[in-house]
Amino acid sequence: MSSQLIRALLLALLSTVVALPIGYFVAHWAGWTVFCLGLALQMAFHFRNFARLDRWSHNPVVDASLEGEGAWDGIFGRLYRHEKDLREQIAQRDHEIAMLIAAGQALTDGVVLLDLHDQIIFCNTTAETQLGLVIRTDRGQSVANIVRQPEFVAYLEEGDFSRPLTMRTERREDRVFSIHIIPYAGNRRLMQIKDVTQTDRLDRMRRDFVANVSHELRTPLTVLAGFLETLQEFDVDREERNRYIDMMSEQSKRMQSIVQDLLTLSSIESAPPPESDPVDMVNLLDKLRRDAEALSAGRHTIIVETDGQGDLRGSEPELISAFGNLVANAVRYTPAGGTIRISWHATPQGAEFAVQDTGIGIDPKHIPRLTERFYRVDRGRSRDAGGTGLGLAIVKHSLNRHQAQLEVKSTPGTGSRFAAKFPASRVAGL
Amino acid sequence: MNESQHLSSQFDEELNRLRTHVLQMGGLVETQVSAAIEAYSTGEIASVKSIVETDRKVNELEKAIDDDCAHIIAKRQPTASDLRLILGISKIVTDLERAGDEAKKIAKGVRRIYENGHLPGQYGVGIRHLAEAALAMVRRALDAFARLDTPQAADVIRADTDVDAEFKSIIRQLITHMMEDPRTITTSIDIIWIARAIERIGDHAKNISEQVVYVVEGRDIRHTKEKVQ
Repeated sequence: MSSQLIRALLLALLSTVVALPIGYFVAHWAGWTVFCLGLALQMAFHFRNFARLDRWSHNPVVDASLEGEGAWDGIFGRLYRHEKDLREQIAQRDHEIAMLIAAGQALTDGVVLLDLHDQIIFCNTTAETQLGLVIRTDRGQSVANIVRQPEFVAYLEEGDFSRPLTMRTERREDRVFSIHIIPYAGNRRLMQIKDVTQTDRLDRMRRDFVANVSHELRTPLTVLAGFLETLQEFDVDREERNRYIDMMSEQSKRMQSIVQDLLTLSSIESAPPPESDPVDMVNLLDKLRRDAEALSAGRHTIIVETDGQGDLRGSEPELISAFGNLVANAVRYTPAGGTIRISWHATPQGAEFAVQDTGIGIDPKHIPRLTERFYRVDRGRSRDAGGTGLGLAIVKHSLNRHQAQLEVKSTPGTGSRFAAKFPASRVAGL
Repeated sequence: MNESQHLSSQFDEELNRLRTHVLQMGGLVETQVSAAIEAYSTGEIASVKSIVETDRKVNELEKAIDDDCAHIIAKRQPTASDLRLILGISKIVTDLERAGDEAKKIAKGVRRIYENGHLPGQYGVGIRHLAEAALAMVRRALDAFARLDTPQAADVIRADTDVDAEFKSIIRQLITHMMEDPRTITTSIDIIWIARAIERIGDHAKNISEQVVYVVEGRDIRHTKEKVQ
């Protein structure tokens, strides 16, 4: 800096030195003119550099380097470097922010950031689809303007965010979301949205299951308790008492079979994967036919269709119980005179065991829920027919363990067809 | 609206709060309508009571919002788009309140049908479809208001024609049905009332959308054949 000052003074001195003799020998005015001319030259030089800086500062670009002359060069260089560094820093920050946003987008949970007035600052695409937001237009919009469900508005206004809000949304075909608002950085809020549809369904199934078990066991128990009370309190004649005891033993058998089925179900669930020894299907089909004939007592025509080819790899008792259940259902729900067709066909691509009846059939709306525990199409009728409500649940579990699919086709009034489709890996002896 | 142009940010805040209240009221009405449809298809008439109770809240909000509108006009003397917003809001709340009333009518109709031991039976699907279309109209009209989105509002206005057509076809079916079997007349009349209420909900959604166009563009497109962009 000081060197620049000295240089400026020296230049002034030089003009003075040139101007002095001229002033002395020629004329005063000539000396002054030369002196001023010297200073003016210096000024013009500075002004040129100043103009260059002025032009650049209006639009500071870093593509063309900024060059000055003399004293200005150092200043220009530093300015230029500063601008360049700043730009690099900004680019770096932009990149970091973009990475953070990309991380936010990658979350499988929905995320919405809210400012002090619950206005949307940011949301990821998951949240957009979950809540019907459009970040392009909704930034700055109060979140309650778009998510208008009263329970959510109440949750937002109440300000107690210790627990999440579970909410059914109507925007997307009955999904259930768990929305948790987490305060951060003072009064800002982060909304985390989890899709809990599946968990909610499982919870409901479990609740239903417990309620159903209790109900199914309580009904026969009430009957038992009622008869016991009658026997204790009143004198009943021998014939009456025998009738009561018959009914009581019938009910206790019912309870026993429910408990038995529950145990079977839980043992199937916890058992190791079924073995892969071949099961003789000809034998098995024969046994099924005999059981069916015994149960039907001559009221139905029972046909077994098979070319005798192929066996199944799996656990024989489980397969017998699963197939037996399907056959027994067909016998139970087919009026006298009907036909029950048991078929087995195996190819190297896979095998199919099917039971077709000409029974009462099932309304299509019940089919997806048939294998749920204790699900009944018609409560009274299936209990009269002696079912526990667990049969098809057991069938489905056993088949699943053998990688088989249960296919149900039915027309009310015409009959049903239950088919178990096994993959090639389960077929043997071809 | 006009956020950068207002010197007084308090005014902005008042307008924003007003808008949020309208949408809160809208949320209540949406819930009422969807609960009414749900009651119709499942026959769970227990929810009828809560629908009627929500209606009380909707009515209170309507009064409160009207009051706020009057206050803002008196205190701030808004002009241009702010004035249109407030005028639009005072009409939108009327439509919302009426849509809520229609939801209440549906709920009561459902209770009547089920309490008489009838089932809506074969009309279940048709009515449900109609109701879902009307509910979607309400939802989209409110979205359009929240976002001041005129193309969306125009969509809603166009959708009303479909709902009207569907309503007419349900009525035709019901008439045939009643002529074939006079025992179904009681239930059929109840179903007609319900369908009528649903169709009215669609009309209210259309009115709301027309107000959105007015608020944003300053054009009054009610009762005209003017094309909406």
